[in-house]
Amino acid sequence: MSISLFFHLMNLETKKLMSYRVDFWLTMLVNLVVNLLVLWTLWTAIFNESGKEVIGGWDLDGILAYGVLVFLTGRIVRGGDLQMAVSNDIYEGALSRYLLYPRQYTVTKYAQQLGNVFPDLLQSLMMGCAAIPLLVNSSTASVTPLSIAMTLPAILVAHLLFFLLGLIPQYIAFWADNVWSLSVLLRFVTMLLGGATLPISLFPDQVQEVLHWLPFVYLFEFPTMVALGKVGMSEYLQGIGSCLLWCVLVGAASIPVWKRGDLRYTGVGI
Amino acid sequence: MWRYLRLYLHFLKFSFSRSLEYRMDFWFRIVMDCVFYIVELTFFTVLYQHTDMLGGWDYDQMLIFVSGYLVIDAIHMTVFSNNMWWLPIYVNKGDLDYYLVRPVSSLFFLSLRDFAANSFLNLIIASGILTWSILRYPGELGAANLAWFLVLIVNGGFLHYILQMYFQIPVFWTHTNRGLMTAFFTTGKLMERPDKIYPKWTRRFLMTIFPTLLVVALPARVLFDGPSLQLLALILGVTAIAFLGMRSLWSIALRGYSSASS
Repeated sequence: MSISLFFHLMNLETKKLMSYRVDFWLTMLVNLVVNLLVLWTLWTAIFNESGKEVIGGWDLDGILAYGVLVFLTGRIVRGGDLQMAVSNDIYEGALSRYLLYPRQYTVTKYAQQLGNVFPDLLQSLMMGCAAIPLLVNSSTASVTPLSIAMTLPAILVAHLLFFLLGLIPQYIAFWADNVWSLSVLLRFVTMLLGGATLPISLFPDQVQEVLHWLPFVYLFEFPTMVALGKVGMSEYLQGIGSCLLWCVLVGAASIPVWKRGDLRYTGVGI
Repeated sequence: MWRYLRLYLHFLKFSFSRSLEYRMDFWFRIVMDCVFYIVELTFFTVLYQHTDMLGGWDYDQMLIFVSGYLVIDAIHMTVFSNNMWWLPIYVNKGDLDYYLVRPVSSLFFLSLRDFAANSFLNLIIASGILTWSILRYPGELGAANLAWFLVLIVNGGFLHYILQMYFQIPVFWTHTNRGLMTAFFTTGKLMERPDKIYPKWTRRFLMTIFPTLLVVALPARVLFDGPSLQLLALILGVTAIAFLGMRSLWSIALRGYSSASS
């Protein structure tokens, strides 16, 4: 697929989403207020009631900064969530149209998912500006222009990994009559095991070790730690490399599922 | 009343036979909800590795609170969730017409028609988790406290539905409810936390104007601290007012409905 066509598809998808402006502002406002409120009240209560200064390597401001940043970066990464995009094409027979195009279906879908990211990116930037006071007082984390610049590639590869992880559950639609539950299941698992719900450092040591061998930490924890300036350059490059390696592995695992499913596809929908 | 009960029994019968047609989805959904339960329990278990108390509750009390929330979520998924999914589609496609011409309350029909039989199994599992968390509780829980807690949990399931309807009904005017539903699910986080962690005025707001704390946090308070008349009146009174308000909003929305492309 040519680069210009790829960007054109992205652009179309962004325009589609941005056409609902009330949705855009409403989700941003509610997300910001509720998430900041829940984050601040929960962690303030935990620090007060436990009487500790540092929990899992974080002071209160540090863990609030983690919470805010994992929420902001996570929204962009989850823009790669296919939800029902592929399965609906299979169920409704719309996949036939894509199969006739001289373009690869998966790449077309990825371009559309990247287009989905733009409103999230814009919202995250605006919310980040509003939440900046929470990010500057910690002794256990420091957000700098360099750390923010380093975060962007980490988010991009995390977004690609999230997209690829969602492919196999979507391809199950060739066999199963409804795969919505599988997509939601994937979201639950990745949020918990990827550090979006809680920093990984709060889990027991043995669990942390296992989690660092799984791909999920590259979705949420890694970009957030980069943004917080807690990742050195060599660790950063290693993280990006590992994430790309997971992308190759997960992408390769999805190919045989697609091929088998494609053979079953009749083009009339279900 | 009997007519509605008979109608609901028919809904149940159809829903069970329909869900058994899609067997893979039946099992997927059960697994999905079980994973959700594990995630919720893990979240608080990890937090309690670092503190003994949260919002004035110890780990055993928190387990009951979380289990209560899981039961309410399961009630919602079983009884209301599918119907909530279809409502905006009916409004936008004009399919609502078919429900408005029937000789029963449209609100009743559209809110309860589709009973998720697969989630019913999850309701049993969630109830099992709640029973387990109550049985393992080391303190004394009075019978009256327990009885009121169970009544208020059912009330919480109903209140959760009412709150969601406030976010659904505007689809009659806005054409899309994507933003509103995202907002609703985001606010769900507020009810998943103990009420005492919120500052005074936020807590008051969440107990009256947007009464999300009445869904499960205050019923759990009734269980641990005993039922006070003031607390029961607040929970049941606010639920009744919220329901009447929602019904009025529904009537206004129907008056403005002009069939397809509304």
